[in-house]
Amino acid sequence: MMLPSYCTLNYNGCVTCSDAGIPVRVVSMEGDDALCEDAAGSRAWIAVELVMPVQAGEVLLTHGGVAIGRVAAQEEDF
Amino acid sequence: MKYVDEFRNGELARAVAAGIASLTDPNRHYKIMEVCGGHTHTIYRHGIKDLLPDQVELVHGPGCPVCVLPMGRVDEGIEIAERPEVIFTCFGDMMRVPGSKGNLLEVKAEGADIRMVYSPLDALRIARENPDREVVFYAIGFETTAPSTALTLQRAKKEGVENFSVFCNHVTIVPPVRALLDSPDLRLDAFIGPGHVSTVIGCRPYEFMSADYDKPCVVAGFEPLDLLQSILMLMRQLDEGRCEVENQYGRVVLWEGNLQALKSMAEVFELRPYFEWRGLGFIAQSALKLSAAYADFDAELRYSTPGVRVADPKACQCGEVLKGVLKPPECKVFGTSCTPEHPLGALMVSSEGACAAYYNFGRKSFEKIEIGSKK
Repeated sequence: MMLPSYCTLNYNGCVTCSDAGIPVRVVSMEGDDALCEDAAGSRAWIAVELVMPVQAGEVLLTHGGVAIGRVAAQEEDF
Repeated sequence: MKYVDEFRNGELARAVAAGIASLTDPNRHYKIMEVCGGHTHTIYRHGIKDLLPDQVELVHGPGCPVCVLPMGRVDEGIEIAERPEVIFTCFGDMMRVPGSKGNLLEVKAEGADIRMVYSPLDALRIARENPDREVVFYAIGFETTAPSTALTLQRAKKEGVENFSVFCNHVTIVPPVRALLDSPDLRLDAFIGPGHVSTVIGCRPYEFMSADYDKPCVVAGFEPLDLLQSILMLMRQLDEGRCEVENQYGRVVLWEGNLQALKSMAEVFELRPYFEWRGLGFIAQSALKLSAAYADFDAELRYSTPGVRVADPKACQCGEVLKGVLKPPECKVFGTSCTPEHPLGALMVSSEGACAAYYNFGRKSFEKIEIGSKK
């Protein structure tokens, strides 16, 4: 299986680069944080205040532990 | 894998490349700048350059925050990190950026408490866990990263975490692009806009490129086909004599951006009157500092950093490369005394720096690789 070059939680190239964003799927919510899973199956807690409201199953774009955007519905199945 | 395979399909890539070739005027030279370091990385990793006609030149822009950070700001971070009461936190790539007397990794080896974090929220957690120490986060990045710092500071204020502060080096993308457009050194035809910065700020801020400078701009994603399609969209605009801002990365970028993130940034930050960029000099209103409401969390005030200016090493030509005047192999120390293992300049440090991308993906010269050849 080919993984995105810098689009997983474990290997995302340069986090200081303003353009390294990782698409993750929301697994569950707890307050302002969401447990999210990337395309490789790695999980991390991500702060989601900036993209509220968020539901389990949605795909978010995260950068530096914070969700900054949402990935369009037609491409959720990554 | 869905979401990746369709953006790396070789057959589609060749079809898009043929479309670009059909729109290329053989008597014209096209200079297209990819503003973002992430795009530079994709271009060299996937050999995009080899799919383009000779007349289409890609110029690497200033969109790597590690690369544009002036040496004086690195030195000031090191001075804070050396204080015995401080736990200094930063992203991984910052650790190797050379200051005038070494880098953070070397200072850590000498005993300073410097910790690499993935998120500013990790730095805040360290502050909560170490109430008897001062925790400083070295904030760096464009508008993609600034919201995570803003959110962290909002949480720190809400929770009353007093032993946490931020050394803010966040920069903004539009002023340096405007500076490049005003630069007499460079004649550019079009721009590939940064995809994830635009997730936050939207596409509207780029309208000045078409309105004031007659330059087309296409906001692009980061897979190889994203970039090829963006170049095709730019070539169409140039062919038809149009100058517009278009959004190729519509699956992520909304035209108006992320309003919640922008609101959070507006509360926490304000524009600096000016900020120094490596290679570009001082640019007005091109960086962020903490607003008065968050002054208690400002490491610059807490540690009275002097704001010294330090000149780059003489041998280093990062500035010219950043402006697109030189290609990385034209720098006199490229690949000899400056390598990813021992970088002299910041462009060789970050994996998204133009020099590191050239070096790591085998483009150590201008030699063009013919598709299908054994080279």
